[in-house]
Amino acid sequence: MKRLHVLLPMLLLLCVLLPVSAQGSKAAASDEVVLTMGSWRTDDVEQMNRLLAAYKKLAPEVTIKFQPTNPPDYNATLRLQLDSGTGPDLMYARSYAAGQELFNAGYFADCTDIPGLMDNFTASNLAPWQMSDGTMFAVPFAAVSHAVYYNKDIFKKEGLAIPDDWESFLSLCNTLENRGYTPLANGLADEWDILETFFFGLLPNYIGGADMRVKYENGELPLNDKNFIAAYQAMADVARYCPDGFESVTYNDSQVLFNSQKAVMFVDGSWTAGVYKDASFDWGLFAIPAPKGKNTAICFHPDMAITMNRATKYPEEAKAFLAWLCTEEGATTASQNLPSGYFPMINFPIELEDPHANEFLSLNTGKETDARFVWPKLMNLYSPMNQAVIKVMKGDITAKQAADSVSDLM
Amino acid sequence: MRPKHARHFPWLLYLAPALLVYTVFMAFPLIDSLRLSLFSGNSQATRIFVGLDNFKRLFTDPEISTRYWGAFFNTWKFFFVHLIVQNGLGIFFAVLLTHETMKGRHIYQTIIFIPTTFAVLITGYLWKLMLNPVWAGDFLVSIGLPFLKHPYLGDTNTALWAVSLVSCWQWLGIPTMMFVAALRNISTELLEAARLEGAGNGKTFWYIKLPLIKPVVGIIAVLTFVNNFNAFDIVFAMENVNGAPEYSTDLIGTLFYRYGIAGQHPIGIPDAGLGAAIATITFLLLLVLVIPTLKNTQRSA
Repeated sequence: MKRLHVLLPMLLLLCVLLPVSAQGSKAAASDEVVLTMGSWRTDDVEQMNRLLAAYKKLAPEVTIKFQPTNPPDYNATLRLQLDSGTGPDLMYARSYAAGQELFNAGYFADCTDIPGLMDNFTASNLAPWQMSDGTMFAVPFAAVSHAVYYNKDIFKKEGLAIPDDWESFLSLCNTLENRGYTPLANGLADEWDILETFFFGLLPNYIGGADMRVKYENGELPLNDKNFIAAYQAMADVARYCPDGFESVTYNDSQVLFNSQKAVMFVDGSWTAGVYKDASFDWGLFAIPAPKGKNTAICFHPDMAITMNRATKYPEEAKAFLAWLCTEEGATTASQNLPSGYFPMINFPIELEDPHANEFLSLNTGKETDARFVWPKLMNLYSPMNQAVIKVMKGDITAKQAADSVSDLM
Repeated sequence: MRPKHARHFPWLLYLAPALLVYTVFMAFPLIDSLRLSLFSGNSQATRIFVGLDNFKRLFTDPEISTRYWGAFFNTWKFFFVHLIVQNGLGIFFAVLLTHETMKGRHIYQTIIFIPTTFAVLITGYLWKLMLNPVWAGDFLVSIGLPFLKHPYLGDTNTALWAVSLVSCWQWLGIPTMMFVAALRNISTELLEAARLEGAGNGKTFWYIKLPLIKPVVGIIAVLTFVNNFNAFDIVFAMENVNGAPEYSTDLIGTLFYRYGIAGQHPIGIPDAGLGAAIATITFLLLLVLVIPTLKNTQRSA
């Protein structure tokens, strides 16, 4: 028994020391630096490896290993790794509160002085990874967008045009319904999709972009003003154009309905674009139209950023990689290796290969864009707003009651 | 006479492996989760002792307590549907299956039992499609039953009943089998004597069969209670972890999962202490209600 007491710690010590010394000797032998990168994008291993291989050509002595974690576990796993000092050198950073928390805890490095970062991104694209004092804790990497997917074949057959405003969108839906089609594929059963893609997608049309959002956040404008009520009313108005029994239609059902041409349009996020790659019909995109007299704006949501560990052993090399992402060349390479439906956030005009991705990006031209309404400051209103949208679409409450139920919580 | 310790030693030795496994994998985690309900924070490093604060929040925070009581009553409804429908049908089918004039008993028995061998995720998903007017509506219209076309799982008035009944359908085989076994144990002499005295099927059931299978009824009731108070999978398969629509199918199981394990979408930071508090209350509730039920029904056994 006594001997075991000595043996066990020694064995444990060996286990801990072995990998460290092995890594050390390898690095010394070839002067090679190995950096690890944590991520929640397990689907993107192939794309990221291509991107990292491209970087390796520029910096042959640096190898970056992409080590993604299962998406739902990422926040918890990363936290655990960082707490125990085994965090990756580079890692994906969540936007807003979840990211700020890790910067405050001392894990994310201050990225403010990375060359190009402050110059090559717009303020609204920097904001999601910025502390209130302006310190940046990550380099913006990719955003997602939201729009109306439509079946071009059916539009052509029926002689229909893309609507310019919300009113003509509703009459378009009406025409389709009269001709025996299901106009919209959206449903309520999974709850998150109706809020994140549809309601947050059309909200900027009614309340405006980031500068207006801030007024709602700091209480200058109430969450039940006429713009908000109009937005809830819009949701109530489209409910009748959703499939029969849309209350029990899931996100998957919606995709199948659109993909099998049972529904003509689908308000959804850009990340779905890949699903319809092999669709048997021609499809296109248009921005969710604003009501008459308002400007159409786009919900272009900042989703991923990359940052470095404050405790990394190779701060210079890690920083060099992040700086590369802020250059035109780096951003272009990165964008070409993003999965379809994820868009670069940098200011350079970047041509993507996927035509639908370009179509998505072109919707942004000349329009104001903003993140999903609750993400920056009001995340606690996510569930109440979700329920309000669902109830108003079912006709359980009026648009005014829906707006009131959320504003009461402010 | 052999010394005392020699007599005790062997059974302890035989018991030890099971006891060890039970302690390590059942008793310790149970006690540890009770302990966890007194702490806040998710990792060892950030864990702080907060006393009964988690329980206080559970019952006084307006948002959390609304969700908790909602889930609490939904769980009771879910349980009562099982107690009445699943176990009632179980006794009914068992009596039919054990009746002496019954033909083709094995076929019926197999049909009733088959659903219990399926994975909940699969039956849940299939029922979800069948109850969805988008996929099953045209079929219902074509067989002349258009009034059955209804988004059962999207309507707050029907969702919990639909989910409960699907679960009853799936697990009906278990109580049926146990009742069949119990009814077959009743000696034929008793039943013959009853028949000779002029008792019909109804009287035989109420005065002979039911009293004799009472211990099994008790055990089944307790099992139904324990299983359904921890239910999670069927709601997860047919609705979502929010207990859609509008929390009408939110059970203590899904509430616990949301608060304690996954965290609320989209931030997804779980609150392990609050989750443990929910689990602790459920554990105590089961303990308080199960022991008297067992005592009452098992005394005669």
